Amino acid sequence: MLKLHDYVLSGSCYKVRLLLALLRLDYERVPVDFHPGRQHKSAVYFALNPLGQIPILEDGPLVLRDAQAILAHLANAYDPDKNWLPRDGRFGLIMMWLSFAGGELMALSAARMHDMLGYELDIETARANGRKALRILDDHLADRGIDGGQWIVGDAPTIADIACFPYVALSHDCGLGHEDYPAINLWQRRVRKLPGFVSMPGIPDYF
Amino acid sequence: MARTTDKAALDNWYVLGALGDFPTHTVKGARLLGADLIVRRAGVQFQVSDEVGAKLPVEQRYGHLWTTLGAPTRPIFAMPEWDEPDRRPVYCGAVRVRASGLRVVENFLDLAHFPYVHTDILGTESKPEVARYQVEHRADVDEVWATKCEFFQPKAAASADGGQMSQYMYRVVANPFLVMLYKTPPTAPNRWDVIALFVQPVEEDLSIAHPFMLVIDETSSDAELIAFQQMIFLQDRIVLENQRPRLLPLQPGRETPTRGDLSSVIYRRWLKEKNIRFGVEEPVRLAHA
Amino acid sequence: MKSMTDENQTWHPVALGVDVPAGVTRAVILNGTEIVLWRGADGQIRAWDDRCPHRGMRLSYGFVRGNSLNCLYHGWEYEGSSRCIRIPAHPDLEVPKTIKATAHAVHETGGLVWMNRSGTAASDPPAIAEGVPLISTAIDRPIGALRDLFRATSMHPAVIREDILDGLSLLLAMHPVSERKSMLHALTIGGSDAPADRKRYALAVRQLRQQAETMAEAA
Repeated sequence: MLKLHDYVLSGSCYKVRLLLALLRLDYERVPVDFHPGRQHKSAVYFALNPLGQIPILEDGPLVLRDAQAILAHLANAYDPDKNWLPRDGRFGLIMMWLSFAGGELMALSAARMHDMLGYELDIETARANGRKALRILDDHLADRGIDGGQWIVGDAPTIADIACFPYVALSHDCGLGHEDYPAINLWQRRVRKLPGFVSMPGIPDYF
Repeated sequence: MARTTDKAALDNWYVLGALGDFPTHTVKGARLLGADLIVRRAGVQFQVSDEVGAKLPVEQRYGHLWTTLGAPTRPIFAMPEWDEPDRRPVYCGAVRVRASGLRVVENFLDLAHFPYVHTDILGTESKPEVARYQVEHRADVDEVWATKCEFFQPKAAASADGGQMSQYMYRVVANPFLVMLYKTPPTAPNRWDVIALFVQPVEEDLSIAHPFMLVIDETSSDAELIAFQQMIFLQDRIVLENQRPRLLPLQPGRETPTRGDLSSVIYRRWLKEKNIRFGVEEPVRLAHA
Repeated sequence: MKSMTDENQTWHPVALGVDVPAGVTRAVILNGTEIVLWRGADGQIRAWDDRCPHRGMRLSYGFVRGNSLNCLYHGWEYEGSSRCIRIPAHPDLEVPKTIKATAHAVHETGGLVWMNRSGTAASDPPAIAEGVPLISTAIDRPIGALRDLFRATSMHPAVIREDILDGLSLLLAMHPVSERKSMLHALTIGGSDAPADRKRYALAVRQLRQQAETMAEAA
């Protein structure tokens, strides 16, 4: 049985919850009191993940941290058709965008933690970096549109889309709307129409 | 922005946080009504000082730290449920909202948004009707109460198993930034759960919401209760941050209430009588209809 | 060269038509005002103030069903004319005709969505050559900085036509967002329709964006 250590407001946990829903996988959700309890920094959780972060996925004896790694594992283990993580020429591109989702795009997560939960950090830099990352994604999606493509990589949704979606869709939480990003506006609607899609607070159910 | 001059806002007790938000033997900044404050904690003692180092009045009540920048004419409101031994206090964690604190309170009072903002949880689109309810200003305590509110809810609380017709009461205490609701717990239909939102107005368009609950629930973990409440509040936050104007308009004709908005109508009328200015929109010139 | 100030110019390009397909809302900002663009199932584009008259919620967060735009907050339904026709909290209420969103004149031509907020009897909407939509991009400079980049005269104060090689012209429609930002809506006339070429054209527009953003601020 899959077990997910999860926090309802975490965009990173939502990456995993979303793929689990799209793959129609059952799992046990273990709620972590991230705020105000900071349970993810408790001794019990440091034993599971020395980085003191969530999500953490337990799959039998396997314990995985890092949302991007968890997405790759789920696609590898539970998608026999290899739709979500194809092994052909698209594989390298998907890895590139997974890295972006866990890297540059996470400036949006930092800005969101500041604006929402009062985390102390350099908000101007976080917001500026968030905007840079959004622009890179918008430019890319516009180019994909020129190719006739609707997804970040290839002609079908992959875990690249799932990894990038949450913090892009939640950018309003840190004061960044999508007025500047017309291609993102259309792409995120496509993601929300995927069969089995689940939302999270901050991403309205209706669109 | 500097400390406000709005006396109606200043002469109130405000929450700066749950006691647990202030680590022991530390110093932490806080901002209230435009004033930068310092909170010092030493063991169980708290001290709050203002921009010039003057010590402010301090109270510890209901597990929270309270202070005032003015001269309140009333004590901190009464909440008898605090003394009931079978209640669980749940501190849900401070959340910042880029909105007027008055908008935050008004949203808390609203029922009609349940099917759209809290879809399949506090409401469902197939049952959107807001039945008539009652609202009164209780002059003796200077509080606004909405009673006989009812709404069909697919999942009324963390412990809910299936839908229920929830009964609600709402209460805004003398400080119009402090609001709570009473609703029927799924496991104890003859009692009331208390869910409070203590709003700390930081600037006119920036607030910190301190959600707090006193519930009857023997089964859910703290993490589950907190997650449920935070989920609801974060669903509201995206609305709150996108209402225009950000400050609450009290001018007739700026917005359009209906019968279901009776709580907000009475709340706004009361704010006008109090002459509150902090978080209120300056009157604008209205376009012809 | 004769120039027209924004105050005189009442029609502004605010989007590529293809960026607002049927069923979609798009939030844009025009000279500091929040606007919602949306298109119904009937294919009609609308441009309204991004604000529901009920409690001021931005309508761009709402949802399109058929030919109506519904507000996210309480589900109030606005038909294409901007009149509110349904308030879900009061299903039996006949909604007073005075409850409506604030609509602006809007016109689609040349692959662009144009809007006019002036409120005066709208002058003739712009007529420009039909281009093939390329990309739409935000620029962190005010519109004046964009104008400084171009020497070519325009077919309209908002549209610059840059004739490039190979029979390709770029149409660049300039949209003032705020004092610090603008958007460029780009289309092509002529040139190649192969995706590889069109991506090069898009890159050229982004290079203009970079030029505009790295130019020194006007003295």
